[in-house]
Amino acid sequence: MNQIIKKSETINKLLSRYGVKFGIYKNGTFKEQLFPFDPIPRVIKHDEFLFLEKGLTQRVDALNCFLLDIYSNKQIVKDGIIPEEFIYSAKGFLPPCDGVVPPKKIYSHISGIDLVQSKDDNWYILEDNLRVPSGASYPMISRELQRRSAPDAFSSNSVIDNRNYADLLKEVMDYVNTGGINVILSPGRYNAAFFEHSYLAEMTGAVLTTGKDIVCENDNLYYIDYNGKKQRVGAVYRRISDEYLDPMTFNEESVIGIPHIFEAYKKGNVALLNAPGNGIADDKGIYYFVPKMIKYYLGEDAVLMNAPTYLPFYEEDMNYVLSNFDKLVIKDVAEAGGYGVIFGNSLTKEKKAEFIDLLKSQPRRFIAQEVIDFYDLDILDEKGNQVPRKADLRAFVLSNGKTKVWPSGLTRFSRDPDSFIVNSSQGGGFKDTWVLSR
Amino acid sequence: MGIITIDKIDHLFWLGRYTERVHTTLKYFLKGTDRMIDADPEYYAEFCKKIGIVNVYGSKEKFLQTYPFDESDPNSIITNLNRAYDNAIVMRDYIGTETMAYIQLALDDIKMAERGNSQSADLILVIDHLLAFWGCVNDMIDNEQIRNIIKLGQGIERLDLYLSLGNPSYEIIRVYRRMKQFLLKSKLRYDENVIYTIDNMISGSDFNYQSVKNLLRNLITE
Repeated sequence: MNQIIKKSETINKLLSRYGVKFGIYKNGTFKEQLFPFDPIPRVIKHDEFLFLEKGLTQRVDALNCFLLDIYSNKQIVKDGIIPEEFIYSAKGFLPPCDGVVPPKKIYSHISGIDLVQSKDDNWYILEDNLRVPSGASYPMISRELQRRSAPDAFSSNSVIDNRNYADLLKEVMDYVNTGGINVILSPGRYNAAFFEHSYLAEMTGAVLTTGKDIVCENDNLYYIDYNGKKQRVGAVYRRISDEYLDPMTFNEESVIGIPHIFEAYKKGNVALLNAPGNGIADDKGIYYFVPKMIKYYLGEDAVLMNAPTYLPFYEEDMNYVLSNFDKLVIKDVAEAGGYGVIFGNSLTKEKKAEFIDLLKSQPRRFIAQEVIDFYDLDILDEKGNQVPRKADLRAFVLSNGKTKVWPSGLTRFSRDPDSFIVNSSQGGGFKDTWVLSR
Repeated sequence: MGIITIDKIDHLFWLGRYTERVHTTLKYFLKGTDRMIDADPEYYAEFCKKIGIVNVYGSKEKFLQTYPFDESDPNSIITNLNRAYDNAIVMRDYIGTETMAYIQLALDDIKMAERGNSQSADLILVIDHLLAFWGCVNDMIDNEQIRNIIKLGQGIERLDLYLSLGNPSYEIIRVYRRMKQFLLKSKLRYDENVIYTIDNMISGSDFNYQSVKNLLRNLITE
C-alpha cells in the first residue's frame, strides 16, 4: 500500500494528463474540474466480495423482476406487497412504458448500487441507481495509471484486474442489440459525466453521439454518415434521463433527445440501456420494499440489508419519525445527487417545525432513515497525513442474461470531516476499490 | 470506427485548424518577443496587423501578458488552444485518450508558463506537445480519413497564416501542395475551380497572396 501512497502525486498528474474530469455548474457557469483521487484504495477481501456479489446479484435480479411485473401484470400490487400509492404517484413510473417489454426482458442492464459499511462491519444498501448510474470509468482508468505508477503494489497484492469493465459493458450491449451498431447517447460536452461517456465509447468501440446524427424512420433507428448513408442502430446506451429521451413521448421541450426513439423501442427494433421507466424501481419510497420484493419474486431472504427506513406514509412510521426526528436523516424521494437530504439534528427549532408541517402534508414525498455510523476510510489530506473520512461504495452490476458484479467499484468519500455527503457534485473525491482474488 | 458524420467532420477539421493556429502563432510570437527585447519594442502593433487581429493591447508589456495567456481575449493563444480542446474532447472516441492527452498537456504547459518566471522559454513546451499530438495523430489513428481531415484543417490554417504573415512564395507553394494531398485523401467535397485557379496562379506570374486567401475561404463546400 505504501508504494501507492508514495506515488499519489504521479497518479494525480496522470489523471490530469488524460483529462479525468467531471463537469459542474456553479452560479450558472459550467466548469470542468479534476475528480480528486485518493491513492489509498478501499480493499475488499475475497470472501467479503463473494458475500456482496451474492447480495447484489439477488437484489438486481429482484429489481428486474419488479420492473417486468410493474409494467405488465402488477401482480406485486395486486398481492398487496406494495401499496399502489407507491407506484402510481411515483415520478419514476412512466405510463407510456406500461405494457412495453424490452429486448430479452432486461430493464436494468447497468445498475449502480450504493452501499456503506457500518462500524459493526455490516454492509447496508443506501440506494439503488437503475436509470443512468455513472462512475465506473474512474476506477477503471485510475487502475491503469496506478499500475503504471506503482507496479510493486500490484505484484505484492492479489488484486483482481478491473480494467475489463468496458468488455463487460460491450457484452451487455451486444447481448440486447437488435441488429445494428451500438451507440452511446450523451447530452453533450457540458454534461457532468461527459468524460465517462466519451471514454466508454472509446473503450467499447461504440459510436458516441449527441443524437443529432440519428433519425428514426419506419420505427427503426439509423445513424447517418457524411455521405447520407444510413447505418442501423441496434442498441443505445443512453446517458440522458427518461424525460429528455424522446420529445414525442416524454418532455416535448427536450432538444437533446431523439424524436420517435421510444416508438422504435416499443416495437422491439432497438434496445435502450437502461430501459425507460426504471425510475420507479430506484424511487426512494420503493427502496423500502426491496427486501419484500426479493422474498416475493425469488423466495429468498435479502442477503444485503437496507438501512433501517421509515415511511411517514404509514401512521406508525410517522409517529416514530416525529418522536425520533433528531436522530434521523430525512430524504426527499424526488431528489438525487446528495440533494434533498436533511439531518434532523441540523435544523433550528423554527425550521424543524416548518419541515414537520411539510412532512405531515406530504408524507409520501419523504422517507426517514437511521443515520448509519459509516466505517470511515483513511484518505491523504493536503499535507499528506492520513485522516478518516466518510465513504460509500457504488457497486456496478451488469445484466445480460447472467447477472455479473464488477469486481471493483467507485468508492466516493467526503473531503469535509463533518459531512456524510460523498457526491462529486458536492466536493467529494474517489478511490479505487480493490477486490482481492484470494 | 468507420462512420463519420458531418458534425464529427466539423470537429476534426477545426481541431486541425486550431492546433495549427496555436502552433504557428506561438512560433511567430516567440520570434516577435525576441525582436521586442531590443530591436523594436513596438513590434507588437505590426504583429497584430500581420496576423489580422485588432491591436487592443496598448503596450508591449500588456501584449506580452495578454496575447498568450488571457482567456477573455478572443484572439489569444490560450483561447485558440481552448477551442482545440473543445473540438478534441468531443472526439475522444475517434482520436483516442492517448492522443487527446497532448492537447491537455499543451494546456497545462501554457497555464504553467503564465505562472512561471521565464515565460517564453516555458512556452516552447506547448509547441513540443502540439508536435507530439500530431505525431500521435499519425501513429495512433488507424482511420485514414480521420487523419486526413485533421491534417487538411491543419494545412488550410497553416496556408492561411503563412499567406497573412507574408512568408516566401516557395514556402507557400510547399504548404499548399501538402494541403492538396490531404484534401484529396479526406474525401470531403470541395470546389475544384478553387484548386484550378490557385494552381494557375502559382504556375503563372499572378501570384497574389490576398487572392489566394480569399479563394481558400470557399474551398470546402460542405
